Amino acid sequence: MSKRILVVDDDADMRLTLKLSLELAGYVVDVAGNAREALAQQRERPADVLITDIFMPDADGFEAIDAFRREYPDTKIVVVSGGAQFTKRDYLPDAELIGVDATLQKPFDVDTLLALLKGMVPS
Amino acid sequence: MKLRSHLLVLSIATAAPIVALATVIAVVVVKQERDSVRDAAGERVVAVMSAIDAELRGSIATLRAMAASAHLESGNLKGFHSDAMRIFATHPDWLDFTLARGDGIRLLNSANPPGKDLGPVSDRESFDLAMQRGEPVIGRVAPGPEGRSLGIPLRMPVANPDGTLKYMVTVVLKPDAFSDVLRAQKLPEGWVVNLIDSNHKVIARLPPMPAGRPASDSFRAQLAKAPHGWFRGKTLEGREVYTPYLTSALSGWTLGIGMPTGTLDAAAWRGLWLLVVLIGVASAVAVGFALLLSWRIAKPIAALAAASEAVGRGERAEFPARTPIAEIDSLAATLKQAAEAMREKHELAEREKTALQAADRAKDEFLAMLSHELRNPLAALTAAAHVLKLATPNESAAIKARGVVERQTKHMARLVADLLDISRVAMGKVALERERFNLYEAVGNLLNVWRASGRLERHRLMVDARPVWVDADRARLDQILSNLLDNAVKFTPAGKRITVTVGPQGEMALLRVSDEGEGLPPDSAERMFDLFVQGERGLDRAAGGLGVGLALVKRLTEMHGGTVSAMSAGPGRGATFTVLLPAVLPPSTRATKPEEPTRVAPRRVLIVEDNDDTRQMLFEALAFSGHDVREARDGATGIALAAESRPDVALIDIGLPDVDGYEVARRLRAAPGGRNIGLIAITGYGQPEDQKRAYEAGFDAHLTKPVAAERLKQVMAGLQ
Repeated sequence: MSKRILVVDDDADMRLTLKLSLELAGYVVDVAGNAREALAQQRERPADVLITDIFMPDADGFEAIDAFRREYPDTKIVVVSGGAQFTKRDYLPDAELIGVDATLQKPFDVDTLLALLKGMVPS
Repeated sequence: MKLRSHLLVLSIATAAPIVALATVIAVVVVKQERDSVRDAAGERVVAVMSAIDAELRGSIATLRAMAASAHLESGNLKGFHSDAMRIFATHPDWLDFTLARGDGIRLLNSANPPGKDLGPVSDRESFDLAMQRGEPVIGRVAPGPEGRSLGIPLRMPVANPDGTLKYMVTVVLKPDAFSDVLRAQKLPEGWVVNLIDSNHKVIARLPPMPAGRPASDSFRAQLAKAPHGWFRGKTLEGREVYTPYLTSALSGWTLGIGMPTGTLDAAAWRGLWLLVVLIGVASAVAVGFALLLSWRIAKPIAALAAASEAVGRGERAEFPARTPIAEIDSLAATLKQAAEAMREKHELAEREKTALQAADRAKDEFLAMLSHELRNPLAALTAAAHVLKLATPNESAAIKARGVVERQTKHMARLVADLLDISRVAMGKVALERERFNLYEAVGNLLNVWRASGRLERHRLMVDARPVWVDADRARLDQILSNLLDNAVKFTPAGKRITVTVGPQGEMALLRVSDEGEGLPPDSAERMFDLFVQGERGLDRAAGGLGVGLALVKRLTEMHGGTVSAMSAGPGRGATFTVLLPAVLPPSTRATKPEEPTRVAPRRVLIVEDNDDTRQMLFEALAFSGHDVREARDGATGIALAAESRPDVALIDIGLPDVDGYEVARRLRAAPGGRNIGLIAITGYGQPEDQKRAYEAGFDAHLTKPVAAERLKQVMAGLQ
């Protein structure tokens, strides 16, 4: 049975390209534009992996991560961010600290993401 | 040492010589006082002595007369005795008289007539002296030969023709006689007067003392030193006295007048004591003044010192406003100025520090934003590339991915262009291509482009435009307005109003964009134009951007010699950005005359417009094209004028003061011959909804302000 992945990003093109890439790799993909939508989606169709951006309107990416970890402890979480390492806005180390399963800095090679996913949810 | 002590020393230093001088004067005065008393006493001594000498001289004169008696020459002793007895009776001061032979045997006295030997004389020494000198001699106080009361012998020799002593005549004086002389002087109570003979035995004294008694030791010791003068000694009663004394040349007797030391010293002490009291009072007054003065001086100085310390600690200082001392006042004023300068400097430094920190933070945020803005499209592009690599070209996934690539590269291109632009402007590498043009028309053209692109469709655009000319770079002015509009659109919710105003304002040309959007945080208006400063929703992609738009507006405006300002009534209450550029005179109409001739046939045109500038502009444009133009300021006048002049075309403003433009159009259309009239709406509302409403009211065409002359021509031509 195909694994289900939920992609959360406020950029429509980012959501679209990730969805297309992951579908080509054989995953079932849902998308959401913010944390609230993501939780709604998850309630309807629980995903095995959450891929979320940290910069999002409405709710900080951390809020989504926190909600998922409490409500869906079995869902793996991958965090992606466009923040740079030389500024204060680099949230990836923070994400690692609160115990997400993997972090990726934008832009990233889709093969890297696929390798990560393979390790997390072997089909 | 404290100021108080200094002043104390000062006052004491000033007072001390005065006190010293006063002391010297007092001592001199006291001494003079004593000397004058003593001198008076001394004169008294001389006077008394003179009286005593006079007394003695009287007796000596009588004695001489007795010695020269003829009875003695003839040896008639009886006759002498009887004469002498007569004289004796008139001299109560005499104790006795005697006549002695040359060998010292007395022959007679007052009690015994001649006839028998009366024995030797008692004071042999004076007898011998008188015999030797042949002159009267005053003897000593001594008891008589019969041991009777004390007397003082005065002796006068009577010589034989051969020079040997024949007789010695003696008068014995009563010491009491001199007591009377002393008593007559009426000396003050407590004083002592003492008359002593050459043997220092008392002759007479007050208070009384038996005659013949030796004078006091101190008197005798003093007499051994000098025959006259004064000394301090003890009386026979043992009282301390100052005594001036004098020894008579005539008698060899000495008179002393003793003044109790108490009398003199008391006066001196009284003077000294008064002096001490006065010095004490003067010193106390001086010290008191010194303390008062030091308090008056030290208090403001202490206050000043406290204020200065407060300044040093960086606290707000209270400087004494007014003190009794001008120098301290000026010092306080100077210190106050210095403190204020220091505080201003400090505040300036604080502000600069804050500004630097803010700039640093803005730079950090810019870098984060830049990273975010560039990495996001890159991430999408990378994923799209991945899809394109795997999917066949005609697959839906590939088609979608190509769309992503197209959009994201465009987006990135714009970001990069913005960045390059701001850096070129910041480095001064942008040269302005200036030309003289009507800002009103330029704004109209740009708004038409924006309307056509649909970027304004979510908002209600209001335009308030009047002609104004500027000497500027068209492309850069378009950029300024575009950035301001971009900003307004970005931060204004759909359906809210955005107002663009253009026109003259004094010497300047005004370009203003107001919105009903989020407004600005308090006190941030000035900061809005700094590079990289973002609206509060910096994380929101919808409002995203690099924060260079307004910075560009500011730099470009300043390059044109203009100013830009932001204003907001607060968060949620909209913002207004105002650009002011130097206005220039429009080029003369003659210069613009050789334009291509109008292709519009002359017609009767009515303008109904309440804005004088817009009406004037329309009037000139139409009249220049050869039309017969009438004007009205409001709806009612317009309708009346139309009935009278029967225009071919009417340009009607929608927002009229009395009835609205739609109503005017309906009436004109309904009027006789109104079916053929060309009706053009002129409005600041450019939404499709507004146009629809205009057509429904009977308008043939719809022109959005600002009305470009070329567009007007087109519409006029279209109505033919």
